[in-house]
Amino acid sequence: MKFNKYLIKKELFTEFRNNSSLYLITPTMTVLIIVFPILAENRFAIDEDLFIIIQILFLILFSTLFSIRNPIDNQKLSRELNFARITRSEYFINKITSEFFIYFPQILLFSVLYSAFTNTSVKTSVLYFILTIIFFSVNTVMVNIIFQMFTSFNNKFVQFILIVPIYMAFSFFIAPIWLGINQELINIYLMLYLGITILIFSFTNIYLERNEK
Amino acid sequence: MKNIFLNSNNLTIGYGNEIVIKNLSLSLSNEKNYEIIGKNGSGKTTLSNFISYNFEGNLFDSVITRDKLDISEISPKPTLLENLTLDENVAYFTHYLSIDEETINSKLNKFKLTDYRNDSIKNFSSGMIKRSELAICDIKNPDVLCIDEPLNYLDKEGIEILEDLLNIRSSDNRCSILSSQESLNILTNMETVNLNEV
Repeated sequence: MKFNKYLIKKELFTEFRNNSSLYLITPTMTVLIIVFPILAENRFAIDEDLFIIIQILFLILFSTLFSIRNPIDNQKLSRELNFARITRSEYFINKITSEFFIYFPQILLFSVLYSAFTNTSVKTSVLYFILTIIFFSVNTVMVNIIFQMFTSFNNKFVQFILIVPIYMAFSFFIAPIWLGINQELINIYLMLYLGITILIFSFTNIYLERNEK
Repeated sequence: MKNIFLNSNNLTIGYGNEIVIKNLSLSLSNEKNYEIIGKNGSGKTTLSNFISYNFEGNLFDSVITRDKLDISEISPKPTLLENLTLDENVAYFTHYLSIDEETINSKLNKFKLTDYRNDSIKNFSSGMIKRSELAICDIKNPDVLCIDEPLNYLDKEGIEILEDLLNIRSSDNRCSILSSQESLNILTNMETVNLNEV
């Protein structure tokens, strides 16, 4: 595993100078969060079960919008990586890192904002709440990059249709933990989440490294 | 002795089921210069992409032997990242080499780019982008430099700088491969790969 600070810096600079991503998606979602409780129950407080369901829906919606914001042009990417002498496995690891740095603070802030504006809290500790967000972020970022690097679905609608069920599956691990189940079950769910993360990462990395030989 | 880095007696490449180049006999040395000549659609860009590892298509049953060299390609489509400045692009594309700031300054000065180092690439003209890519290749000094349509977007001064770059590379026994519709006569010692005859 090789971290390339130039690649991470390039991805972060590109993101912050690209007006079509952070500046569009984040404010839109923030407005939705603020407006939602008023629309749902005509007050700044909602039922706890509804809170969990809708928060997960927001997570999925935000992740999907985030994923389709900047489609990778594979031919351009290949040319760029060759010119910079970066292997695809190196790109995969560093792209995950940079995307995580962009995505994680936003989704964390977005979840906290959602709780604040609905006057509702999750029924688990802060540590588990953050851990689930970290796992969710890493997995959604990885799946998005895999989709863009290995498939030819350059149509955003097709990407949307295919990627949403995967994000739903990831979010189903979150719901029970946030609903406040017992400690043993939380541990099992977190271990499952960790296992899925390691499996996706290592399988993709092995595949990329094998192709480079 | 000349080092052959790419050799094939039956190079057949294309996209999907469509064959673009059929049974081309090709043997490239990293100490010689080449020009790829052909009319529109003859496969110049495809061959240039193939040589520089940028080809993403089918090789059919071609038997190919090649050495892994540092090969850079400049194509008519810009490779530079438009949201980054010239300095950031230089840092990114040369990160794997340890090049001192003085060398970078002198190369950028040679290509008349010193005043634009902190400007974003998206504000550059096509000619400026081409010059920037040439400057980065000059800094990197790759084993093989492929340029597809080398004169595109370059003004008279740009062409002179390009000729200078190619002559220096030639005297250092470094391979340059130019691809265009007709012979450009930039270098005297060039071997021709004529795709019109394939």
